[in-house]
Amino acid sequence: MTLALVVEVAFKSFICRACGLIYDEAKGDADSGLAPGTRFDDIPDDWACPLCGVTKADFEPYEVTAIERRASAPRQTAGTRGDAGVVIVGAGRAGWQMAQALRERDADVPITLVAACDASVYDKPLLSVALARGLALSALVKEPAASAAQRLHVRLLPRTHAVSVSTQANTLRTTRGSLRYRHLVLAHGAEAREVAQLPAALCWRINHLDAYLKFRALLGEPDPAAPQRVLIAGAGLVGCELANDLALAGHAVTLLDINALPLGSLLSEAASHELLDAWRGLPLRFVGGVKIASVEKAGGVCTVQTEDCQRFDAEHVIAATGLQTPGRLAQSAGLAWSNGIAVDAVTLRTNVPNIHALGDCISIDGQALRFIEPIGRQANLIAGHVTGGAGLPYANRRPPVRVKTGSKGFTV
Amino acid sequence: MSAVMESVGFASAVKPHEAMLQAVRALADGPLAELADDIDRRGIYPKGILQRLGELGAFKAHMAMDGATVDFGAAIRAITEVSRVCGATGFMVWCHDVCGVYMEQSGNPALTGSALANHVAGHTLGATGMSNPMKTFAGIETLLLKAREVEGGFIVNGALPWVSNLGPDHYFGAVAVVEGDNSPREVMFIVHCDAQGVELRHCPSFSAMEGTNTFAVRLTDHFVAADKLIADPVRPFIGRIRAAFILLQVGMGLGVAQGAIDSMWQVERQLGHVNEFLEDRPDELQAELDALTERTMQLARTPYAHHKEFLIDVLDARAHASELSLRAAQSALLHQGARGYLMSSAVQRRVRESHFVAIVTPAIKHLRKEIARLSADEMPA
Repeated sequence: MTLALVVEVAFKSFICRACGLIYDEAKGDADSGLAPGTRFDDIPDDWACPLCGVTKADFEPYEVTAIERRASAPRQTAGTRGDAGVVIVGAGRAGWQMAQALRERDADVPITLVAACDASVYDKPLLSVALARGLALSALVKEPAASAAQRLHVRLLPRTHAVSVSTQANTLRTTRGSLRYRHLVLAHGAEAREVAQLPAALCWRINHLDAYLKFRALLGEPDPAAPQRVLIAGAGLVGCELANDLALAGHAVTLLDINALPLGSLLSEAASHELLDAWRGLPLRFVGGVKIASVEKAGGVCTVQTEDCQRFDAEHVIAATGLQTPGRLAQSAGLAWSNGIAVDAVTLRTNVPNIHALGDCISIDGQALRFIEPIGRQANLIAGHVTGGAGLPYANRRPPVRVKTGSKGFTV
Repeated sequence: MSAVMESVGFASAVKPHEAMLQAVRALADGPLAELADDIDRRGIYPKGILQRLGELGAFKAHMAMDGATVDFGAAIRAITEVSRVCGATGFMVWCHDVCGVYMEQSGNPALTGSALANHVAGHTLGATGMSNPMKTFAGIETLLLKAREVEGGFIVNGALPWVSNLGPDHYFGAVAVVEGDNSPREVMFIVHCDAQGVELRHCPSFSAMEGTNTFAVRLTDHFVAADKLIADPVRPFIGRIRAAFILLQVGMGLGVAQGAIDSMWQVERQLGHVNEFLEDRPDELQAELDALTERTMQLARTPYAHHKEFLIDVLDARAHASELSLRAAQSALLHQGARGYLMSSAVQRRVRESHFVAIVTPAIKHLRKEIARLSADEMPA
């Protein structure tokens, strides 16, 4: 029995419940005159916490045990701090249609719209027929952004770049701060495909209203005394429509394409020839079967050189060589990608449950489908999912497309 | 010490920087943790800690010396480990590390070789006076130092408001605009604090940064010879090292955020029952921090890439680290309550450190402005 008297009891620690100071018996507390090894029980009762001054009675035993860092139970808080609701990226047709479809179904859900541009509401197809239809530049804006935002009760962040998505925190990072979303809808569209031979500093990419307005401001009105030459690289839909429109307005247009005929991938050979016939009499020259090697600018004139050493001079060069979906947001969010943001053909959901996408940025079964008609159906469907109602399944079909070459129109 | 050295030798055979990181962690949790309050409140400069970090190899993971594998990720993690315990010291490790980048990338034989060897070993300590030039190149400020080209070098005049990690035997990288040239041209060079025409002046007190030996530096007819030149011209050089400069800083934010999360767990057992009513709980913040760390490590594999999308990613990671450390430090204080509010508590110190991470160049606002500039469509003029 005497043995038990010499068994050393391990030193213990005690924590001040007021300030968290820890009294370690092994260390004692020199400031209070307590030598190392002073047991807590042996400390006089009038002793005070050296840090905050509360009494000995305010201490409790403290066990140094590792805390398991596990996920806490489901949140009890509303978690509404910084809640941006449904966040839509992009304020083109797809972005605004999405906002409208959501608001029609739910009067209260917060909607935040993030736009790299000023978010004016406009119809992009009009950009390639504006001259022939005599549309004033000011008439291209159907509704100012602020008015649309007010009408749909949308928080609008114009001139704001979406930078990345942090899916762990359900946060969209932007150049004006981070937005915590319940649902994220990507509607940012596609951008001009980068072609090294067509540098962006020299070649216009008419892919949105901003660029078109700047181009038109520099182009000015056709002036027989000082004719402006426009060279368009790429004779697809956009290239042909723009060439047609500019030529009808009296500008001297040269249209180049790698294929032998304009709209070569859309029309039959006979139809392409009909189009060329229709262009006769316009200041529009088509040169097929050429590949551009370089564009250089000197003295206000751009010189375009082809690989077969033809040279074309023009005051303005437009690159219309196709679109690609920017991958930044999709990549940061870990979204499946297949020639665009891969979405489910029926639900338009990405592989991340609370991220949807629509419009020009998506692909279904590896196919991008960049047409206007499906956008409204897509927006309605996503709005149904997001607001908890059932939506009709999406029917993926290619709409008929009208080629708006005013001299000779086609439906394909 | 011998135990540490042995473990370095042993582990280095397996994973080159893991042993270094373990040793840095032990130094941070031990001697640095003891000193952190003195660094903060008494303005003690932790020279011994910095030298010890040099001995442990913390300053050389990102250097291509002796044919070593360049591992920016390990250098960032070393800064993280230090910043987790003391943000001011973590900042000084960044200052020293990025000065090493200037010297190495200069290709100047007088700044590489033995000078660089002494630098990465922590025998000599360096810093960076690049806040003003970085803001100048982003179109926010104009250069404060003016250089005049003379026989064999440049004469430099002007003053930099605050340069950290200085001392009489220290040096730092700086940039001056060359006067008299028709087109704008700059030179970048090393300034030794004990050289002729260099004067250190005391600064007003700095929140959370009192121990960083931060001085105003006045240069009066200071002669810069060829052996001190880092770059001429400067802009291509900055374009090359800019991502590396910013990536290393991410470590400060990661560390401050981790320290804050650690202090939330410290009170979980006692205060979890009330803390569950707070947002930004430690498990949520940790998941976000882990994802950001992984993203940073990915970017750190190509520190000298300089295409636009990569730069945007680097700027965004740096901004995210700032924002996360602000949120984590703030939330840690709310989790700890009054005990974290004591002046002696690391929790309130970390709130101030997180503010520093967010405002030191490039600050959150600078990063966003630069991302917006890089993201804008280029158009013909």
